[in-house]
Amino acid sequence: MTKNIMIVDDSASLRQVVSIALKGAGYDVVEAFDGKDALTKLDGRKLHLIVSDVNMPNMDGISFVKAAKQLAAYKFTPVIMLTTEAGDAKKQEGQAAGAKAWVVKPFQPAQMLTAVSKLVLP
Amino acid sequence: MNLDDALQTFIVEAGELLEQMEEALLRIEQTPDDADTINAIFRAAHTIKGSAGLFGFDHVVAFTHVAESVLDRVRSDELRITSELVAIFLSVRDHLGALIAHIADGKEPDDDTHRTSAELVTKLRVYLGPPAPASSQALVPAKQNGTVETQAGDGVGTDNWHISLRFAPDVLRNGMDPLSFIRYLTTFGKIVHIVTVVDAVPRLAELDPEASYLGYEVAFHTDADKTAIEGAFEFVRNDARIRILPPHAKVADYKRLIDELPQEELRLGEILILCGTLTRTELNAALSHQTALADETLSPIGEVLVDQKLVQPQVVAAALEKQKQVKEHKATESGLIRVNAEKLDVHINLIGELIIASAGASLIAQHTAMPELLEASARLSRLVEEVRDSALTLRMVEIGATFNRFQRVVRDVSVDLGKDIRLEISGADTDLDKTVVEKIGDPLTHLVRNSMDHGIEPVEVRLASGKPAHGTVRLNAYHDSGSIVIEVADDGGGLSRERILAKAIERGLAKPDQQLSDQEIHELIFEPGFSTVEKVSNLSGRGVGMDVVKRNITALRGTVEIDSTEGVGTTMRIRLPLTLAIIDGFLVGVGGSTFVVPLDMVVECVELSAEETAASQGRDHLDLRGEVLPFIRLKQLFDIPDPPPADIDFAADDTFDNSNAPQRSGLPSTLLTAEGAAALARDPELAFLLHPVKRENVVVVQYAGRRTGLVVDELMGEFQTVIRPLGEVFSGIDGISGFTILGSGNVALILDVPGLVRRVAGREGRRNIQATTYAMAE
Repeated sequence: MTKNIMIVDDSASLRQVVSIALKGAGYDVVEAFDGKDALTKLDGRKLHLIVSDVNMPNMDGISFVKAAKQLAAYKFTPVIMLTTEAGDAKKQEGQAAGAKAWVVKPFQPAQMLTAVSKLVLP
Repeated sequence: MNLDDALQTFIVEAGELLEQMEEALLRIEQTPDDADTINAIFRAAHTIKGSAGLFGFDHVVAFTHVAESVLDRVRSDELRITSELVAIFLSVRDHLGALIAHIADGKEPDDDTHRTSAELVTKLRVYLGPPAPASSQALVPAKQNGTVETQAGDGVGTDNWHISLRFAPDVLRNGMDPLSFIRYLTTFGKIVHIVTVVDAVPRLAELDPEASYLGYEVAFHTDADKTAIEGAFEFVRNDARIRILPPHAKVADYKRLIDELPQEELRLGEILILCGTLTRTELNAALSHQTALADETLSPIGEVLVDQKLVQPQVVAAALEKQKQVKEHKATESGLIRVNAEKLDVHINLIGELIIASAGASLIAQHTAMPELLEASARLSRLVEEVRDSALTLRMVEIGATFNRFQRVVRDVSVDLGKDIRLEISGADTDLDKTVVEKIGDPLTHLVRNSMDHGIEPVEVRLASGKPAHGTVRLNAYHDSGSIVIEVADDGGGLSRERILAKAIERGLAKPDQQLSDQEIHELIFEPGFSTVEKVSNLSGRGVGMDVVKRNITALRGTVEIDSTEGVGTTMRIRLPLTLAIIDGFLVGVGGSTFVVPLDMVVECVELSAEETAASQGRDHLDLRGEVLPFIRLKQLFDIPDPPPADIDFAADDTFDNSNAPQRSGLPSTLLTAEGAAALARDPELAFLLHPVKRENVVVVQYAGRRTGLVVDELMGEFQTVIRPLGEVFSGIDGISGFTILGSGNVALILDVPGLVRRVAGREGRRNIQATTYAMAE
C-alpha cells in the first residue's frame, strides 16, 4: 500500500522539491501551505507521516501539530518538524506538543528521505 | 512537475519573499517592536535559506544563514532594531536579490558578488557578538568522517554490534513506531538476532493499549559506524533508553549494561547469550569481574581505531530518476495559475475580433428582421459582453505592489537628500490593467523623486513656515469615471507661478505678454527643455525630465495635471484609462461620419435648440439647468461637410415638430435650378418637406471634473469599442485618440475626450483672464 505523507510549508519551492523526492521514493504526498490549510486537509484519510515547518503565517507548525494530535485519526501519526538550528526553545515546545522528530533546515532531499524512512514502515 | 519547475517556483517565490522582506524592513523603522513584522523578515530569510539548501545553492545558504542568525537575535530581544541595522538588511535584501538573479540566469556568482557577500557578512557579524560558532558548523551538513572504536584485549568474541532498546511508554503516542526504527536498521545492516523483552508488560487489567511496554535486545551486523546506528534512533533518543555496544566490546561494558537494568540482571544475561552476543563463559566472567575493572576501562581503550567512512545513502539519485514515473497528482495549490502575459494579450485581441464579428452579425440580424435571429444575436452579444468583461479583469492587478516599491525609493532618496520624508499610501487596492502598471512605474518614480527633491523644503524652511519637520509624500489611487487616477501629493512649497513663468520666458517657452492661466503655467514644467533647472541634483540626473514623464503618460492615453498652492503643496494627478484594449463606447453621428465617445465619460445627452444657440451669443455656452456648459461643435472642429442629400425621410417623427425652431440643412445651391430655388422661397411648407428638420444633440462629457458639451447630429447608442491605435501619420491629429471598426465594416474614430475638454477649458481660461485684465483696466 502506498504511504501518504503530508508536507506543510509556506515555501512552494520547498514543498515541490520535497514532494518530488518523496514521490520518487514511492510515497503519496499531500501538500499544505500553512497550518490552517493543513488542518482542512486532515480529512480522516490515513496519513503515515506529517512533515511540517515551524514558522509559517496564519498558523504555525506547533499549533498545527497540537491541533492534529487532538484528532483521533491522527493521534499516532508521526511528525517531523522542520526547524533552524537556532530553535531550541521552539523545539521543546514542539516536543511537548508531540513532535519528536526534527530535521534542521536547510536539508538535502536525501536527508529528508532518510528521516522519513526511519519513521515510516515500507 | 520536475526540478526545473521547482527551481522556477523558487526564483519567483524568493522574489516575492524579498519584496515582503523589504516592505517589512521599511515598516519596522516606524514600529520597531512589532513582533509580527520582525517575524516576517525572519521568515523571509529563513524560507529562502531552507529552499536554497534543497537546491544545493550553498553560497545562498551560507550568506542567508548569517543574516538569519542576526535576525534571530532580534527576534529573541537580544538585539534592538536600529536604522543602521535596517540599512544593512536592506543591502542584504538587495544582495540576495542579486544572488537569486544569478541563479535565474543560470550563472555562477562572480567575484564582485562574492566580495559583496563577504562585506555584508562582516557587517552582520558585528551584531552576532562573540564569533558565532553555530554559523560555520551549521553550514557543513554531517559529512565528516565518523570513527568506529574497536577494542582489543578483553573483548567479547563476536563481530556483531549489540543494541539494547527500552522504549518509553509514551513512544507510540508520540507517533513513533519502535518497529519502524528496527526496520530502518536493516537498511544498512543485518539483524542477526533479536529478542523482545516483555518483562514490563503489566497484567491485562492494568494494560494501557496506547502504551509501549516492550524492550529489544538486538545483535546487529553492519559495516556502518556508531554514529549511523545512533542516527537510526535519533528521533526516539528522548523517548527511549538506547545502549549501543560495538563489536568486541569489553566484557565490562556488558557488565555495566547489565548493571543498569538491575532487576533484569539474570534475565538480560540470558538474553545476551540468546542473541549470540555473549557466550556463557563471557557472561560468567563479566558477572564475576565485578567492580575491579571500573577504572581500567578508561585507559586502554582506543588501541585500535578503525576509521570508517560514514555511508550516506545515495537515495537522491534514485529518487530523481524515478521522478519521471511520478503519477499525476491533483493540484493542491491555492487555486492560482501563473499565465504567460503574452497568451493573455492574444486572448484579449481575439476577444476584440469577436466583438467586432458579433456586432457585424447583429447588424445583419437587424436587417433580416427575423425575430428568432434577432433573439439569438442579442443573446450572443450579451455573452460576448460578459466574456469581454471577464477577460479584461484577467489583466487587472492591484496597484498596491507598485506603490509599495516606493517605500524604498522614498527612504533611499530622503537619506540622499538629507530630508526626513515619509510616504503615505492609500487606495492600494485599486485595480489597474497590468500593462499600464508596468509602464507607470518609471513616470511615477520620477514624479515622486521630483516631489521629494523640489517639492519638500529643507527642514529649516518647513519649521519656519509652521509645518512639521518631516515632509510627507502621498500616493493615492482611485477610480473616476472610467479612468484610474493616481495622485502624487507632497506637503512642500508648491509651484511658484512667478518663477516658472520667468524661467519659461527665459527659455523661450512663453512670451512675456502672454496671458496664461495657472493651469497653463503649471503645464509649462512638462515642456521639453524646462527640466534643465539650475538645481540639477543627482536625483534628477536620471535623464528623465518631466517632459518624458508626460510623454510616457500620454502614450498610455493618459494625462497629467497639477494642482499646486504655493506654500501648501503640490498634487500631481495622473489619469489613465482603465484598460487599453476594449471600452464601452457611445456612437454619435456628425454629418456623414460616425464617432465614438467613451461611454464612461458621457454624463447625459440633451437637445440643443436654436434659442439656446442664439442665447449663447456665439460664445458656445449652454444653460444646463442653471449651470454654464461650454460646448464644441464637432462639425466645425473636424470640418465635416453635410452628407449628400439622401432620400427625404418623411417617416421621421420629429419632422413636423416645429416647436424647436429647427435648424435646416440647406441643399447645396448648385443642385437647385433657379425656378426650384424660387419655388422653395415662396413656399415654406414645401421647403420644410424637402429639407427634413435636423435638431442638434449635445453629448455632455466629463473628464477630470470638467464638463463639456459635444454638439453632434445624431445619437446612435452604445457600442462595444475595440480600440485600434492610429497609425504614425495620424498621430498628430487633435481630438482623435484611435479608431474602431463598426459592425458594418465602417471605420469610426474615437474622440479624445480629455483633449477636447482641455481645449475647451483652455479657451475658457484665456477668456477669463482677458475678462479680468479688461475689468482691471477699466
